[in-house]
Amino acid sequence: MISEDLVSTCAELERQELTSPTGEASPQEYAQLLAIYLCQSDLCNAKFLWKRIPASAKSSNEELSLIWKVGQCMWKRDYPAAYAALQAPWSDNVRHIMTTLQEELRSRAIDLIANAYSSIALSDLAAMAGINDREAERISNERGWIIDAETEMVHPVRPPPSSQVITSSEGQLNKLTDYVSFLEN
Amino acid sequence: MTLPQMQPMAYQGGVEPMQVDAPPEDNDNSNEEEFYIVRNPTLDLETYANSYKSLARLHRLMFIATHCPSMRVEALKMAIQYVMGTYNVTLYQQLHKKLQESIGSNATTNLPDVAGGGAQSTSQDIPAFDIHWVESKSKKAALKLEKLDTDLKNYKSNSIKESIRRGHDDLGDHYLDCGDLSNALKCYSRARDYCTSGKHVVNMCLNVIKVSVYLKNWSHVLSFINKAEATPDFSEVHGKDSSNQTIMTRLKCAAGLAHLATKMYKAAAKQFLQANLDHCDFPELLSPNNVAMYGGLCALATYDRNELKKNVIFSSSFKLFLELEPQLRDIIFKFYESKYASCLKLLDEIKENLLLDMYIAPHVNTLYSQIRNRALIQYFSPYLSADMRKMASALNTSVHALEDELMQLILDGQIQARIDSHNKILYAKDADQRSTTFERSIMMGQEYQRRTRMLILRSAMLKNHIHVKSTSGRDNGQAGDAVQSEPTTGQRTGRGDLSNSGEQQ
Amino acid sequence: MVSGLEQFVNAVQSFSSQGNYNDLCEVLRKSTDVLSKNLQHLDNVLETLDPFQHSLGFLAVLFVKTSNLPTHMTPPSGAAEAAGHAEARALDTLVFSQFQNFIDQCDSSQARLAPETYSEVCHAITRVLVEQKRPHKGIDLIRKAIRKIQKHESQLTGAHADLMQLCLLAKNFKPALEFLDVDICSISDEGSQSEAKYFLLYFYYGAMIYAALKKFDRALYFLEVVITTPAMAVSHIMLEAYKKYILVCLILHGKVLNPPKYASQVVERFIKPLSSAYNKLSLAYSTNSCEEVQQCLNLYAETFNRDGNNGLSKQVLVSLRKKNIQRLTKTFLTLSLADVASRVQLPSPRDAERAILNMIEDGEIFASINQKDGMVCFHDDPEKYNTPVALQRLEEEMERCTELDRKILEMDEKFLVNPAFIKKQQCGSTEEDIALAPAMSGQGSSTFTM
Repeated sequence: MISEDLVSTCAELERQELTSPTGEASPQEYAQLLAIYLCQSDLCNAKFLWKRIPASAKSSNEELSLIWKVGQCMWKRDYPAAYAALQAPWSDNVRHIMTTLQEELRSRAIDLIANAYSSIALSDLAAMAGINDREAERISNERGWIIDAETEMVHPVRPPPSSQVITSSEGQLNKLTDYVSFLEN
Repeated sequence: MTLPQMQPMAYQGGVEPMQVDAPPEDNDNSNEEEFYIVRNPTLDLETYANSYKSLARLHRLMFIATHCPSMRVEALKMAIQYVMGTYNVTLYQQLHKKLQESIGSNATTNLPDVAGGGAQSTSQDIPAFDIHWVESKSKKAALKLEKLDTDLKNYKSNSIKESIRRGHDDLGDHYLDCGDLSNALKCYSRARDYCTSGKHVVNMCLNVIKVSVYLKNWSHVLSFINKAEATPDFSEVHGKDSSNQTIMTRLKCAAGLAHLATKMYKAAAKQFLQANLDHCDFPELLSPNNVAMYGGLCALATYDRNELKKNVIFSSSFKLFLELEPQLRDIIFKFYESKYASCLKLLDEIKENLLLDMYIAPHVNTLYSQIRNRALIQYFSPYLSADMRKMASALNTSVHALEDELMQLILDGQIQARIDSHNKILYAKDADQRSTTFERSIMMGQEYQRRTRMLILRSAMLKNHIHVKSTSGRDNGQAGDAVQSEPTTGQRTGRGDLSNSGEQQ
Repeated sequence: MVSGLEQFVNAVQSFSSQGNYNDLCEVLRKSTDVLSKNLQHLDNVLETLDPFQHSLGFLAVLFVKTSNLPTHMTPPSGAAEAAGHAEARALDTLVFSQFQNFIDQCDSSQARLAPETYSEVCHAITRVLVEQKRPHKGIDLIRKAIRKIQKHESQLTGAHADLMQLCLLAKNFKPALEFLDVDICSISDEGSQSEAKYFLLYFYYGAMIYAALKKFDRALYFLEVVITTPAMAVSHIMLEAYKKYILVCLILHGKVLNPPKYASQVVERFIKPLSSAYNKLSLAYSTNSCEEVQQCLNLYAETFNRDGNNGLSKQVLVSLRKKNIQRLTKTFLTLSLADVASRVQLPSPRDAERAILNMIEDGEIFASINQKDGMVCFHDDPEKYNTPVALQRLEEEMERCTELDRKILEMDEKFLVNPAFIKKQQCGSTEEDIALAPAMSGQGSSTFTM
């Protein structure tokens, strides 16, 4: 999950950009915003942000294009390339966001594998999650996925759908009342 | 006599009277036909031709000549022989031209094939083009026309209704004999003003129907069938005397033909199935064998198992028709007994002959594929799962082809099933009613929301009188400006890159 | 001359202090000439007026100033022109800050008395920003301007279209969504000639923004609004919207839905024939053959490019490929990846695997890939509608329906007490003004039954 922190930072950065006297933000702010969009998988907005960042900002802050490189790989859904791009030395400005992004990307990849594969080569799993084979084995075991040693195939298990909606019976009753009163009018 | 006053009312009901003279509109069925060639028909041309009269025989022979090279010369010869008994000079000339062409082409291209047997015999008894016949027939036709015209004028001056009606009919007959269909149609339909009994009206209708069939003006055919059936005298006595039975059968056949031609196969089947063999005498249009074949195939393609049983197999009247076409009878019975492989095989056997039949040929492929689909659906209907290998052999096809056929049927919603391509098994799909109901109601709700929002917006729009006015004079900025002032290149290329953003840099 | 201006200032001050805004509007309407003749003194006038107390007067001056701003479409070439350009720019900057000042401080209730003037000023400011290629500078300002004049947040104003245009050009869509996501219930009555134009533009630009963000269902809704706007003539906006409508329809539904019956005949009669390349594309799409669609795209590449529909038209092809895979999921339980590739014309089983993986990720199909056997199993939608989550979703949907229904009832009631409507019911007159009333109330009650 994306932390509340990032969400509020994001809104704040967006506001700053719009209300600044020039209508533009600083390169550092742009870098943060871009990284946050990627974290949120909001690739469309990330793309258009990249397009509107003024050329001067891009040239003064090289990190911007490094961040966007990750975005491009994500757009193409090329997980291995995205992990590679994430290995850049990030500045303090964005480091914490990029670390979050990497974790986010990995957990998303593993969830996808669990959903989409009934068997997958260990090496493919490792590549999609951006980890080495031993690490992949560890993750598989952790999740109770069976590894066929002979074929080097992992058999992922689909996770049960999570449901975490809690409603009070009072609230339910309230809604029912609403429906009935609506239908009777 | 008050009757003449009332008669016109009877047929003014359905169709506007002048419509009779309207040019045939849906004539293009014939033009759309693809050109194909039938190589190995098993048709006895002589018997076949003898079941028809008048233009029906000529048209059918010409159709065969077009599509079957091996019978071309024979068919044209028969046609020429027959046309010499009529006044149709134009057609005589056409036929001779075609004959000449086909002999020419036979001589050059097909020589090795025919040289063995038929070639000598054909080249010997080719009828020569008889210019004298043409001249004398033309003269006679003109004379007869003149005589009939004068007669009609006399009748008219004497104002004897019945004679005038007959005069028109005779003139129509003569035009038909000459092959002038549009004039024949005019004469026949003019007769209606002089009809003095229901019988006359029906007669007029039959004449018009006949010519309209030749003209392939199917909507016309149907409207005059309605007119005939609505004639009071006719419906009163209907079912009692035999001439009425004949008329009924004629009308049903013509209606079947019109529905067939307009691809309404189920309706066509229904009409043909009502024909009565004992009164099926309509050689100017079709033979009882045709009725059997057209009706049988249409029924097979469109009826479900129950309908087939009730209306075809156990129909006492249609049974008699089926006896005329034993192959078709076998096909229908095999189908009903779920012996699809032999049924489909038999169907293939009669296909060549069907392709030489001018009315059913354009529909053979459609009907066949519908019959096939029906077989597939029926085959699978009792199963929860079916082995596609067995299914393929039962239906005379390969597993792969069957997979494609099934895929189409599933997509069309005709079979509720899924294919396990890995194990080649077809599984019936049990629809989860509960989930689909939920799904549908959510979709319905969303549609409601969408429409209601649009409605609210639209009411605001109308309230503010928002509408695009014509761009005249002063405010021609209305539309033109709008597009120019729209963000152009910058935005647009932005969008353009959207789908392939990966490519940039 | 100057006395004319003095009179103007006096009138503004005295009427404003009396709160007699109706008469003030009358005076203002007549003062445009005086103001136009004294352009160089207007800055002084603005200094003597208070943006809050004299909002109407302030606005009138701004209107004259902005409508007399020079247009500079072409960038300056010579040095002399560059100087002139700088001067013009300084002028713009001044007006810009005056407008900003006005928006920050003005009295909404006064501004609402002159909505047309207000919108015109917004249009002019927007135009200048667009010409200067600084659209991002105006977003916040116009956003505030809209909020200031709106009576409620679901009211459409003339400035909406300006904001959309600025956002599109600045490639900054989030500020636009804040407005686009609210459904419009009423339209501010500006009575201007170009009201329809800005109405169409708002929905057209809105659709473009949604399409850029791949929110195709909203985009389609907005385009539908454009093409169903009553029309007596062909509007270019409508024509362009119709083209995009076809593309978005194909992307979203895989076929072109017929526009609603109440769409103007102009659409069927003129606009459709003018979009032949698009009609051909939809015809090619209906064959389900990627090859045919690709051919069509190549054939009309220039048209699509010229219309700025390059990206959308490419996405049509992508959507067909997805649709073909979805068709497979409907017919097969299992299929080898090689078969998938050959059936949807992808070069290799590996590409098929990727395509399926992506669709699973987007929730477009339900399947599991078996790399060991090179097979894929297709599943039904696992949603069984037996979880609290599903219930919650249902409840939300129902709530939305109820809310809409309440709105319709409200409108229905308003019509019932509308004097014009009552009058019409009584004497059956057919005044144009109220022609809408019965239709609306009728629809209101009929939709209620749903």
